[in-house]
Amino acid sequence: MVGMSTEFTKWLRGRSDEQLRELVALRPELITPVPAHVEGLAGRASSPSAVGRVLDRLDRFTFAVVETLAVLPSPVSYRPLRARLARALAGPADSVFEARFRETVDRLRTLALVYGPDRALAPAPGVREVLDGPAGLGPPAREAFRHYHRERLAELVEDLGGSGDTAEALGTLLADPEVVARLVGEVSPQARSALDELAWGPASGRVANARREVRAATALSPIEQLLARALLCATGEESVVLPREVGLFLRGDRVHRNLRPVPPPLEGAERKRDLTDRTAAGQAFAFTRAVEELCERWSAEPPGVLRGGGLAVRDLKRAAALLDLPDWAAGLVIEVAHAAGLVAASGAVDGDWMPTPVYDGWRVRATEERWVTLASTWLATDRVPGVIGDRDERDRLLNALHPDLRRAAAPEVRAAVLGVLAAAGDAATAPLAPTLDSVRERLAWEQPRRRGPHRDRLVEFTLREAEQIGVTGLGALARHGRALLPAQAGGDAPRRAETGPGAVAGTGTGAGAAAGLLAPLLPVPLDHVLLQADLTAVAPGPLTGELGRWLALAADVESTGGATVYRFGEHSIRRALDAGQGADEMLAMLERHSTTPVPQPLSYLVTDVARRHGRMRVGTASSYIRCDDPSALDEVMADRRAAPLRLRRLAPTVIASKTARATLVDSLRAMGYAPVAESLEGDVIITRLDVRRTEGPPQLRAPVTAVGPDAEVITAAVRAVRAGDAAHRARRKPAAAPDGQVPRSPATATIGALREAIRQGSQVWIGYLDSQGNATSRILEPARMEGGYLTAYDETRAAVHRFALHRITGVADIQP
Amino acid sequence: MADGPLIVQSDKTLLLEVDHEQADACRKAIAPFAELERAPEHVHTYRVTPLALWNARAAGHDAEQVIDALITHSRYPVPHALLVDIAETMARYGRLRLEKHPVHGLVLTSTDRAVLEEVLRSKKIQPLLGERLDGADGGSVAVHPSERGNIKQLLLKLGWPAEDLAGYVDGEHHPITLAEDGWELRSYQREAAEAFWHGGSGVVVLPCGAGKTIVGAAAMAHAKATTLILVTNTVSAHQWKQELIKRTSLTEDEIGEYTGTKKEIRPVTIATYQVMTTRRQGAYRHLELFDARDWGLVIYDEVHLLPAPIFRMTADLQARRRVGLTATLVREDGREGDVFSLIGPKRYDAPWKDMENQGWIAPADCVEVRVTLTDDERLAYAMADAEERYRFCATTPSKTRVTEALVNRHPDEQVLVIGQYIDQLDELGEHLGAPVIKGDTKVKERERLFQAFRDREIRVLVVSKVANFSIDLPEASVAVQVSGTFGSRQEEAQRLGRVLRPKSGGGGARFYSVVSRDTVDQEFAAHRQRFLAEQGYAYQIIDADDVLAGD
Repeated sequence: MVGMSTEFTKWLRGRSDEQLRELVALRPELITPVPAHVEGLAGRASSPSAVGRVLDRLDRFTFAVVETLAVLPSPVSYRPLRARLARALAGPADSVFEARFRETVDRLRTLALVYGPDRALAPAPGVREVLDGPAGLGPPAREAFRHYHRERLAELVEDLGGSGDTAEALGTLLADPEVVARLVGEVSPQARSALDELAWGPASGRVANARREVRAATALSPIEQLLARALLCATGEESVVLPREVGLFLRGDRVHRNLRPVPPPLEGAERKRDLTDRTAAGQAFAFTRAVEELCERWSAEPPGVLRGGGLAVRDLKRAAALLDLPDWAAGLVIEVAHAAGLVAASGAVDGDWMPTPVYDGWRVRATEERWVTLASTWLATDRVPGVIGDRDERDRLLNALHPDLRRAAAPEVRAAVLGVLAAAGDAATAPLAPTLDSVRERLAWEQPRRRGPHRDRLVEFTLREAEQIGVTGLGALARHGRALLPAQAGGDAPRRAETGPGAVAGTGTGAGAAAGLLAPLLPVPLDHVLLQADLTAVAPGPLTGELGRWLALAADVESTGGATVYRFGEHSIRRALDAGQGADEMLAMLERHSTTPVPQPLSYLVTDVARRHGRMRVGTASSYIRCDDPSALDEVMADRRAAPLRLRRLAPTVIASKTARATLVDSLRAMGYAPVAESLEGDVIITRLDVRRTEGPPQLRAPVTAVGPDAEVITAAVRAVRAGDAAHRARRKPAAAPDGQVPRSPATATIGALREAIRQGSQVWIGYLDSQGNATSRILEPARMEGGYLTAYDETRAAVHRFALHRITGVADIQP
Repeated sequence: MADGPLIVQSDKTLLLEVDHEQADACRKAIAPFAELERAPEHVHTYRVTPLALWNARAAGHDAEQVIDALITHSRYPVPHALLVDIAETMARYGRLRLEKHPVHGLVLTSTDRAVLEEVLRSKKIQPLLGERLDGADGGSVAVHPSERGNIKQLLLKLGWPAEDLAGYVDGEHHPITLAEDGWELRSYQREAAEAFWHGGSGVVVLPCGAGKTIVGAAAMAHAKATTLILVTNTVSAHQWKQELIKRTSLTEDEIGEYTGTKKEIRPVTIATYQVMTTRRQGAYRHLELFDARDWGLVIYDEVHLLPAPIFRMTADLQARRRVGLTATLVREDGREGDVFSLIGPKRYDAPWKDMENQGWIAPADCVEVRVTLTDDERLAYAMADAEERYRFCATTPSKTRVTEALVNRHPDEQVLVIGQYIDQLDELGEHLGAPVIKGDTKVKERERLFQAFRDREIRVLVVSKVANFSIDLPEASVAVQVSGTFGSRQEEAQRLGRVLRPKSGGGGARFYSVVSRDTVDQEFAAHRQRFLAEQGYAYQIIDADDVLAGD
């Protein structure tokens, strides 16, 4: 193992700078933080977590190559490896396979998953350990039988026709295909079919009393025949496993079957470009509107926050009814609005869900921009609205807005699914609407290590949610939806997998493009409606802000969709009058915005309601004075001291006041009167629904996204590793601190000199205040500078260190 | 961006802008699968329901046509979910078929095994079925012939409406031809009758006053067989008889009336729903009428009013040809599904606008006259008991004066004054010098007055609400309603349709309703206003003072 590791380090050191840069660009986790030297890099590259991460990103074919290498004894040369894989193919080993295989081997080398020249390829250290049961094969016999006791091993070896009492001896025997062929030939057909069951994995099975010790000669049942010939190995009281050698034999010397060198083609209906975009735009408009409608409703009637967080089922249903959407879609609207910070809980305890000040900013923006905000929020959020209504492992209902609705994999699955859609069909003219199964199959090929029912559900959610939000139309990716995806996603799918989820976060450049593409597809706001004698107004499209708000005030919405149907009624007209509209003003407004004459019943309704409106007046008063003697009240009104009481004479015998009753009584007493307080009866209490907001903007959690390092950082990191490695290998003693005056230079000059040194890769002499405040001087090979820190190889300490820029007192060149 | 006349709403209604240049083409395209719900002047509302989609399917339209019609005419993108829903709903029709099997008689067959299995597992359906043909995996199951109607009803409830291809019995032959002397079948009437005949059974939808009786007659001429006609009431029965004698080769002897008073069974028999649903000691006494003859055709007039017991009886008549006639498929009781499964799918739907343009029907002008109560009346109204309030405001004396002025406005026309309260009617009669017909008026006297009214010897007639349902009310070109609550939409449409016909000189009739301002009377008026406006009638509101001032 040690030898292998050393070899790997040696190989890695032999890679060119360019190759190392490629490696860390593809596996950015290797340079966070930057390792001190190549040995460190190699160690990190072969750590289980790093290997696991990179394996996760491999497609089916590439992964199969790695598995095959892990199964075969190392090293293997190029041709036999190719032959192995060629046998596993579903189709013929054509030129596509040849090219793909060549490319795959090179790429695995680039990824440092495979090392060595073509004549001696080997999996990187750590790969075998991470791949537990590669290709569904069981463990090799020498490992599987290791825990058998010696007597039993001796029996087995003897029955197999060899000699010895170790697992190694057994392994050696089974490694010979002829031996296995003979053994398999000896067993009964039932035993043979049991073997075939296990051949293509999973390699383990359950039988009763697996540890029974039977000899080949006395074995009776099919399972006994297999156990006696070491064709099955007991791993527990009731479990057995098929040793790898046997499995390989049964597979006909293939590691895989039905392997495809290229991704499976997507299946589905071909759509028209225009129709797709238009449909998606319609949905985008509807979704944006749904969010607005929800927030408007929650402005006036905010639903409560449940004790465990989240939104009550009843409130979700209510929202679904309001929005005329199925529950899941209403849940999506709510979750996206929340993730975008448009709604939030007003308080931790006994709070309500209500719009935030962010909503007020969002509301006034153009529809396409609003949509981009929502759609990119959806792409990046780790919350999964699709699981609303499910039960968690403790059988508790998952409510909308519940804190547990998070799934770390969600944004990455969304990106992957939309990436597949982006590659489907001819994007320019005839995009494809792939079926759910087809997308799943494609993803299973692209990310074989990331499969599972949970992910399959996420894929399904993504497709239906993308359609609901308007990222896709008729099942195919719309152009404005594509613009939101990172550039790589549109490219060739296999490569995309390596860039990982990092790409998703970008909403900067794509956002503008998406809004630009979407805007012309959205309906143009209208400034007219159709008025009808049944007292409805039909707005055949979205209305301009002013008219829309006015109609929302003066009429009730009856149905929404492409158009909005408003109904005027006594109640709604009165509401408008209450809001300060006059009858003439309303009629003029109707006249101005109607393409047809205002129907007589409507104008009659307006005038009729207005006629009665305001005949009675209602006001608020905190208290009142009544007195049967009007002259006494005249006196009070005339009194100067009464001015602060804000009195108003309502009738000869009644004065209303804005002051509280107790204050009024006290004041009157002070003025020399002898009033008594009356009971509460007669008080007018007016309640008014208020539009409510949370206090302050919401605490938004930035979506967790790993952004891949840029080229500069990579270059710097590789340089640092190289420098560190050079030092490490030379086992340089720390250089003596230079004598003489500690360098001093102005801060700007310092930064400039360091930057120049980074560019040239040269060494500098710096003055540095250490953490105790002592002035020291160091010889450095600067690698990169960011965030106020310099990362450099410190010759004086023989290690890579980070230096705070503000503690660098000066820089000087090193005199050779 | 397309600029079609159609807008699809999220609640599955379709808004059609009628003034749009493509509106006509669009109407034609969507009429097969969407029901017209409201037809005010500018924007008509259609609704897409599963039944409407299945009707379209039964008429031979497929989902592609429907989706194409929506996409072609829609101004805005159509939500994908709606399109998927439409395709799925339509695909459900005809997965199951009722067919005639040479050996087993009636069988339920399907090419879709999964659907058949689902249906067969239903507890309600199992008892209706016989043995499975072609072994346990066969695609068909025998059905008891008597359950043909029930199984169709149940299958519809399960969402798998069956296509009935089992055919019909011919019934007893009886020669019937149309006697087109001095009149001829209008084009849409001919089309409607033919559409029904080719479809086998089903419903013909024609607006009020479009001559549904004649479509019935034409259907009979196709069938040339003994016919049972079910109508809403005795008045209709008379009208049907008169029409049939006038329009067909049938003579009076060949047509029987089966009503409360007469029980004649002839080759063509007209029965009322009422008599059919009369029960004595818990049993329907007149059911034998259905088996009295080997009927070749059953006609249901006003299918949307068909009472529930008749549905049950109809379930047993599935082997006979059935035609339903109606102005609307919308039923107040929501039993549209039963009409679909038991009578049949919609076979014909008239282009309403075309018929109006051709002058076959003319909607009335409706005027609401608002009477302001005097101060004394208002005080009295405010103090009245809740149950007395309507009566009080409906019979206020102010109305009498206004009614008089209205009657005087139309000196040359026949005017009907309709009301609910006898006192008020008597008072009005006295004021206007017009005879009053109410519940206790003798039949002879009634007929004399009606005849006089028809002969224009009497110009004004005051009738109670009871009268306009129970007797053969003559037509008038002006009607004034002084009291009466807004009943159901159906009732209101019936009343209007019965009273108001286009004037012989062309032009619409006029319908006044006199309403007390700021009272519950006005609330009923609001319902009426909405209903009439939605039906496309012109509607306006005027003040009583303007009427009294002679404006």
